[in-house]
Amino acid sequence: MKKVPIAPRPGWQAFAESVGFAFHTIDNEPYWDESAYYEFSLAQIEDDLETPTEQLHQMALDLVPEILQSEEKLQQLGIPEAFWDAVRYSWQNGEPHLYGRMDFAYDGKGPAKLLELNYDTPTSLYETGFFQWVWLEDQQMRGALPSGADQFNSLQDKLEQAFAQLPLPQPFYFSSVADSQEDKGTVDYLMDIALQAGIDSRYIALEQLGDIEGQLVDLDGFPIEGLFKLYPWEFMLQEEFSSTLISSNTRFVEPLWKILLSNKGILPLLWQKHQGHPNLLPAFFDDGKQPLSAGWVRKPLFSREGANVELLTHSGERIFQPGPYDDGAYIRQAFAPLPRFGDSYTLIGSWVVGDLAAGIGVREDNSLITKDSSRFLPHIILG
Amino acid sequence: MQHPHFKRSRKAAMLFMVPAATLLLSGCGSEKTVEAQVFNTPDECAAFYNPPAECQAAFADAQALHPQVAPRYANKQECEVDFGVGRCETAPEQGQQQAQGSFFMPMMMGFLAGQMLNRGGMAAPQQQNTAAAAGGRNPVPNQPLYKSRDDQSTFRTATNTPVASKPGVTQIRPSAVQPKPASLARRGGFGAQAQQRAAAAPRQTTMGG
Repeated sequence: MKKVPIAPRPGWQAFAESVGFAFHTIDNEPYWDESAYYEFSLAQIEDDLETPTEQLHQMALDLVPEILQSEEKLQQLGIPEAFWDAVRYSWQNGEPHLYGRMDFAYDGKGPAKLLELNYDTPTSLYETGFFQWVWLEDQQMRGALPSGADQFNSLQDKLEQAFAQLPLPQPFYFSSVADSQEDKGTVDYLMDIALQAGIDSRYIALEQLGDIEGQLVDLDGFPIEGLFKLYPWEFMLQEEFSSTLISSNTRFVEPLWKILLSNKGILPLLWQKHQGHPNLLPAFFDDGKQPLSAGWVRKPLFSREGANVELLTHSGERIFQPGPYDDGAYIRQAFAPLPRFGDSYTLIGSWVVGDLAAGIGVREDNSLITKDSSRFLPHIILG
Repeated sequence: MQHPHFKRSRKAAMLFMVPAATLLLSGCGSEKTVEAQVFNTPDECAAFYNPPAECQAAFADAQALHPQVAPRYANKQECEVDFGVGRCETAPEQGQQQAQGSFFMPMMMGFLAGQMLNRGGMAAPQQQNTAAAAGGRNPVPNQPLYKSRDDQSTFRTATNTPVASKPGVTQIRPSAVQPKPASLARRGGFGAQAQQRAAAAPRQTTMGG
């Protein structure tokens, strides 16, 4: 694993905008960064990332029935009691899941360490599945990269297969919050793939979802029987229409049981069951009241983009990322520093579609906590 | 021998993201009327030289749509003011939640058949396919028709659009006769957390992570 500088493709910004990647730059800061790429060996990809991803995914799935049988665990995960039956039902009913992303600390040597599961609303999908794929093709055509270079990125193929095979009601609706351009971009990409798989796909802004006597409806008032929502379950369960989630005849993607796995509380539960597993870090539930000791990280059960994460390095340096997720319980996880390449700290996002590993995306940040200001860099496999 | 595409997608193409806007734009502009037919009963439809089975199918479509799209009233009197005494019935409950009491709706007094393909003048199959691909529904859906108390000769859609004053063929702009369910939906029940947290962390650009 190494970082290699490369000349950006001339005019890539205009191309990005022409294919719907309007958020390549966010608040004048680069988000897509093709001034360098990461290079992995095939063995690093297959042995250190692909295989552990599928194994960890299976370990996480195996925990679901155990959590559902345990009121203590449901409470530890902060699932509101009013929804326990609904979560159980969504699992027992076999409601299918589409995708998820694991974040790893990995430096090319030794086992990748699982930092968290983003199993409800994972993003950076478009950048991974489409834009870095096109980047590799372009750079090979330009002769800037060898024709034998490959990429661990079967995301779009696997998503298309999943949409073709999942039992989805049609028309199938896709929803995201109205004022997030990035989330709309992600949803547009998913809709595009679903359309290619033959799904009658429609968009509705999350705020526009209607309720008629307990049934979710579209803007014309027609029942929504299938809904992909790029919006966290834990938010939906707190909002005005939360009871509609139980009464409505609607199949959700991701299904409600995913709230158990997108939860940081899955990390201590994984550790309890698989203590010493090479890809796991020691992790425990935490009430947030004691000061953190050196070499530990504290994260809220529900938090996104590094918000409200507190970190103490092994030498005791404290890094804290403020944010809007300070209303829940916490977990404490052993600190596994992200590897440093130049001035940047590098995080591997490893995708799962259905139950298969489906590719990686590499993000860099100037801090040990990867935040919404991080940059996305493409990668290749060589040798 | 290396497999050059072994670890990545065979293709990563977007068919619709770019051309979709163009497609939709070219579909805009002045809307053409299409032919559809209006009848009181399936028998009357068959008497107009339509295949009886198609008449029955169109009638069944309209009947199925009727409880979803008919205007709803909180009591029978209000309904009868608009549609006439003895011309209203109890509306079925919607959704799985207990309704707060029963609602009333006008009886179906006829039906609009937009799908009978044996006659000339209907949208050509190719056009229909395009429309179906773009919008998912056919241009003139089969649907129930109603008659108001003070105008018993005119057939009206559930949204009170007059479509014909006698049975038979009529010209219709498809956009004027798209059925819409009657009940008023409550909206805005999701998204509050996003707004709250966006206020606390304005740089947050995604609800994902």
